[in-house]
Amino acid sequence: MTESSNNGVGPNVPLDRRDPATGQAPGPVDPALEAIDPDRGRPANVIATRGLSLRFGDKTILSGIDMLFPRGTITALIGPTGSGKSTFLRTLNRMNDKVSGFRYGGDVLLDDESIWASHQDLLALRRRVGMLFQRPNPFPMSIRDNVVAGVKAHRIAKGKQLDVVAEERLRQVGLWDAAKDRLGDSPFRLSGGQQQLLCLARALAVGPEVLLLDEPTSSLDPISTENVEAMLKSLAPALTLIVVTHNLGQARRVSHHTMFFYDGALVEHGPTEVLFEHPREDQTERYVTGRMG
Amino acid sequence: MAAVIPAGALIASVVVLATKAGPAVRVNGAHFLTGSDWKLGNTYGAIQHTDGVAHPLGSSYGAWPLIAGTLQSSAIALIIAVPISLGAAFALTERLPRWLSSILRFGIELLAGVPSVLIGLWGALTLGPLLARDVYPIVADHMPNVPVLSYFKNPVGHGEGLLTSGIVLALMIVPIIASTARNLFAQVPALPKEGGEALGLTDWEVTRKITLPWVRSGLIGATVLGLGRALGETIAIAMVSGALLNTITPNVYGTMGTVAAAIVSQLDSAFTDGTGFAIASLAELALVLSIVSLLVNMLARFIVHRTDSLSAPVGVGF
Repeated sequence: MTESSNNGVGPNVPLDRRDPATGQAPGPVDPALEAIDPDRGRPANVIATRGLSLRFGDKTILSGIDMLFPRGTITALIGPTGSGKSTFLRTLNRMNDKVSGFRYGGDVLLDDESIWASHQDLLALRRRVGMLFQRPNPFPMSIRDNVVAGVKAHRIAKGKQLDVVAEERLRQVGLWDAAKDRLGDSPFRLSGGQQQLLCLARALAVGPEVLLLDEPTSSLDPISTENVEAMLKSLAPALTLIVVTHNLGQARRVSHHTMFFYDGALVEHGPTEVLFEHPREDQTERYVTGRMG
Repeated sequence: MAAVIPAGALIASVVVLATKAGPAVRVNGAHFLTGSDWKLGNTYGAIQHTDGVAHPLGSSYGAWPLIAGTLQSSAIALIIAVPISLGAAFALTERLPRWLSSILRFGIELLAGVPSVLIGLWGALTLGPLLARDVYPIVADHMPNVPVLSYFKNPVGHGEGLLTSGIVLALMIVPIIASTARNLFAQVPALPKEGGEALGLTDWEVTRKITLPWVRSGLIGATVLGLGRALGETIAIAMVSGALLNTITPNVYGTMGTVAAAIVSQLDSAFTDGTGFAIASLAELALVLSIVSLLVNMLARFIVHRTDSLSAPVGVGF
């Protein structure tokens, strides 16, 4: 595919500001414009994969994935279990690196720099590319400490500022009213949906640019799912979201762009509307219409 | 029914001890806990009566040095053993390849099965002298003369004493704490740890803030298990402590004694006391040991209860 086919995916896609002639980012940025749009002057695609292949030992999980993730959009990754979409997602913040036998080919670029480049600091990378998991995974510490765990680790704030951060992030995910009187309590007494929102608050607190979500609502009831989905939609375009989901309705509801994986291959990708309504490939059509699980 | 047997055995043994120790408790009074002399008196001479209890003239029982020695050696053992055990358990579950991990686990379990008399003998004949010759002098020479650290200054002695006892005890409780901690670490679900990694926490932060707190109460339990063993360990300490009765060591290397070691080392001579008072005093010593162990256990339960409120509920599914 070509880069241009990614533009115009949805209303949240920022314009590609690179000089069409040279392909370079524009020169010095006007501070006023910078204040209005901090992403101005940065590459339009926050993440790009170039011929990405992933293997565990001898087993090839995915091969030759070329994909662009425009800044500020929500991309859904769909496909049957074992199709490689979770492995793909976990590669983007290098969660697979320490899995034994993991090998990659090609490259993943974050703001045009390889995530495996020697100067990339893994911890800083993960601050920029956050993650929300299949099931809520609060840490064994108080609700407040959960929200600021990453903030403390990255030394973004300290002391009284942490309380401010905790409140701000709990408000952002709509958990403040439920949690304000029990900030010192165990997070394990919250409901599953509340725990997942707490984990979202924790991930947002370090100020990521990209949020990877691995079936974030698969363990939640419908009401909590609706809450989390609403939250995710509100996060773009400030953030770029990449969501693995088995819930096709969810993919349609929240995403601008959908990738369909099948059996280790990226079968088809495109604007969500198009992929669901007019899939090019037979496999895609069978999957999105429910004739293949 | 089966559940009643251990509790019944505990109560029965304490009751028997208390009955045996009764006369000694009456005569020795508070001096037993605060005094620093352990004398049988003249077992061939005159018999004295105090509160209607017969005991040899000149007998006096003050067990404070033994109680202090027990607490000191156990504390040293814990200070050495807990970090080593946690480190070993962490390496076994998180760091080492599976094949190496299972070999080392087997080694640790073997160490747990070595009879304490063997460890004691090795400590007295090999480890103690080696430490006193090659290690202690270096430590002692480099310690500044400031509080706490001056406790590590000369003289270093010949290898029998408090520090050697603590090290030998540590060796004996490391397998207990390490194997329990390993099982606990293995139970910590992957998802919260991955959450920490994905947030950009270092491995050390993940361990300190997620893995350790996740099993905090279990780790305290494992430590108390080790402490119980250290407090009660007898024969190895009788062999490496110097088995003194009346002295609290002025520095960390000095010879000393513990309650358990004193009971075994004093039993023979106590039988020479025809009035039975020396035996009663040894029974009182045993009673003190059981009470100290009980208190330690209760304290641990209290700590577990206090810190448990934030950790994960047992059996949380991930």
